[in-house]
Amino acid sequence: MQFDLSDDQQLLRQSTRDFLAAEAPVEKTRRAMEDDPRGIEESLWRQVAEMGYVGLLLPAGVGGQGLGALELAVVLEEAGRVCLPGPLLDVVLAASVLAEAGGQEALLREVAAGTARVVIAREDAAFAGEAPTRTMLAGGRVKGTKHFVPFAASADALVVTTPDGPCLVRGPFPVTPTPTLDHAQRFATVTLDQPATRLGGPALLEPADRLAAVGAGAMLLGLMTKAFEMSHAYVQTREAFKRPIGTFQVIQHRLADMLMRVESTRSAVYRAAWCVDAGDEATALACASAKAYAGDAGRFVCGEAIQVHGGIGFTWELDLHWYFKRTKTLEQHYGSTEERLEAALAAVGY
Amino acid sequence: MDLHLEPRHLAFRDEARAWLKANLSRPWRESLRDPAATEDGLMALRRRFQNTLHAAGYLGMDWPTAWGGRGATEVEKAILEAELAAADAPPILNSLGISLLGPALIHHASEAQRRRFLPPMLAAEEIWCQGFSEPGAGSDLAALKTSAVLDGDHFVVNGQKVWTTFGPWADWIFTLVRTDPKDRYGGISFLLIKLDTPGVTVRPLRQITGENEFGEVFFEDARVPKENLVGQVGEGWRIAMTVLMYERGAASLGHAERFGRDVLRLAAALQGNGRLTGAAREKVARALVENEVMRANGIRTLANFASGKVPGAESSIEKIFWSEFDRRFRETALDLLGPGGQLLRTSPGAASDVDWAREFLWARAGTIYAGSSEVQRNIVSKRVLGLPQA
Repeated sequence: MQFDLSDDQQLLRQSTRDFLAAEAPVEKTRRAMEDDPRGIEESLWRQVAEMGYVGLLLPAGVGGQGLGALELAVVLEEAGRVCLPGPLLDVVLAASVLAEAGGQEALLREVAAGTARVVIAREDAAFAGEAPTRTMLAGGRVKGTKHFVPFAASADALVVTTPDGPCLVRGPFPVTPTPTLDHAQRFATVTLDQPATRLGGPALLEPADRLAAVGAGAMLLGLMTKAFEMSHAYVQTREAFKRPIGTFQVIQHRLADMLMRVESTRSAVYRAAWCVDAGDEATALACASAKAYAGDAGRFVCGEAIQVHGGIGFTWELDLHWYFKRTKTLEQHYGSTEERLEAALAAVGY
Repeated sequence: MDLHLEPRHLAFRDEARAWLKANLSRPWRESLRDPAATEDGLMALRRRFQNTLHAAGYLGMDWPTAWGGRGATEVEKAILEAELAAADAPPILNSLGISLLGPALIHHASEAQRRRFLPPMLAAEEIWCQGFSEPGAGSDLAALKTSAVLDGDHFVVNGQKVWTTFGPWADWIFTLVRTDPKDRYGGISFLLIKLDTPGVTVRPLRQITGENEFGEVFFEDARVPKENLVGQVGEGWRIAMTVLMYERGAASLGHAERFGRDVLRLAAALQGNGRLTGAAREKVARALVENEVMRANGIRTLANFASGKVPGAESSIEKIFWSEFDRRFRETALDLLGPGGQLLRTSPGAASDVDWAREFLWARAGTIYAGSSEVQRNIVSKRVLGLPQA
């Protein structure tokens, strides 16, 4: 029994951290987050694919690495640390659905190579309580409207959820960008009325749902870890009343509360990842809990990071706002907190 | 990463689970609810249960076998604690002696002291209470003033200890006393005092729950044989730090069993009244999620123990998490249950499965004892974050 990662997983962590620190620090990705319609520079996306991250979970036969949820957590945590823009998690999840469905090897080969992007279109309503749109699959055509499709404008294909199960839709499709408070995101509303291939029943999405909990939870973990580290460094240099503010107990206790959430998120996310890989009976509850908790913790930690930074924390210039905003995106997508809370209750029979 | 229990630990868990099933006649909460129950009767029950555990080899899990323990590791200890919690076993009567004083004696006491004190501690023949806190020394423990002055073969002890858990039922108290008023840490010594010594008075203190589980102990020229000193004069603080280290461990696992069971009972109660909807539903779900995160913290600590890692100051994070979650959850439970949640367990109509009123009050203790939440945050900021202390 051990909580530590294996040697291979630690190597993966180190190589990922080195790669992202060199190629994707915020000072390099900032321009693409602000302006690039694809949300990430094409050259960086190709590099991410070449490193094997897009095909992380895919079988070797299509150019993937055949790895599991733990490795996904390792890579996404590192992606979170640099607030990596672009659709990495989205494409990994959509590809996992295609791989699960089978028969999509040609497309998956392109996805793993970084030459094609596919994402999941699942949101049937923009606002809570709004009457959901009905996206229906009939006679080989899919009809309907999907909200908050991530990076839809640069997607070559969509995995579209319907009551009868997910289907595959090839582009082009009409896309209306819907910018949100997270300027690095490229959400869009997609209106569909075109040929589609049914991939399977609704149960086909279940493995991807668990991976979404792990992946988003891990990215939240990376985001909040970095926000915490920035705060920890800042309070030791910033002076007020002639001493570093980190000497004040009121600041110290804030940092202790942040660390408690960071470390508890780490316990929950990696346990959930392990459960997925091991097929443990606690998987459903562990995944639901990890994602729900990580969402709250991420918002708390990044929010506190802004608070201890003071005025500079509220600026566009400091990187923190990208972290704060991304946690909000991750909190409300990939199985929102509300959905994960319901899933947790369902896992224990309520 | 591998979170499966190893085969030998799995075998131990199954064996302990089966033993508890065969030997625990009724859950502790039912004993508590018994209209005929008295505090003395419940103490007697706990004494019997401790003896049963001892006979079966489930006491002093981390003590060496030479001293009547099991010679097991923190892993088996944590597994047993989780199983005891899951089975709702009575709390071990001499828990402070066995979990705190025992390891200190094993590491720091003389051979004669170990022979004298360890066997009756395990057998519940001598019950121990802990005499660290004083009216003027709580979180600032080193401010303690109870003095011990050597006079021939005896220390003459004067002062007062307070919040002494089990004081009213104990036979002995292990204390920190001041042997040098000028040396804040080096002037503290570790002394064992029999409570029927002339000059020692124990007064029960009624707690917020109405129970008298703790007390205060007064010393007026109490003469204590100097052979009751553990270690050397002035080593008390160092020994106490060892003692407090044993308050750690994978406590979150046991708590996740205990609190988790109550979360499900709350869900069942609300469901029964058609109330597991809307805001109530969300609150229950959040408690369930937090409990599961606490369990993950416990599993992580257990796995670290199993792979030979000794927990450091990060155990403070676990303590803050479980004690503050306990408080939030019990408050939520009372909010959602309505006035009926405040019924005393002896009251007509009180819930039969959980003593919600007592749990609500009892949860106020966890953030104070064994290092308050504030002290734990100081430990985190100093030892984990390396921030300078004012």
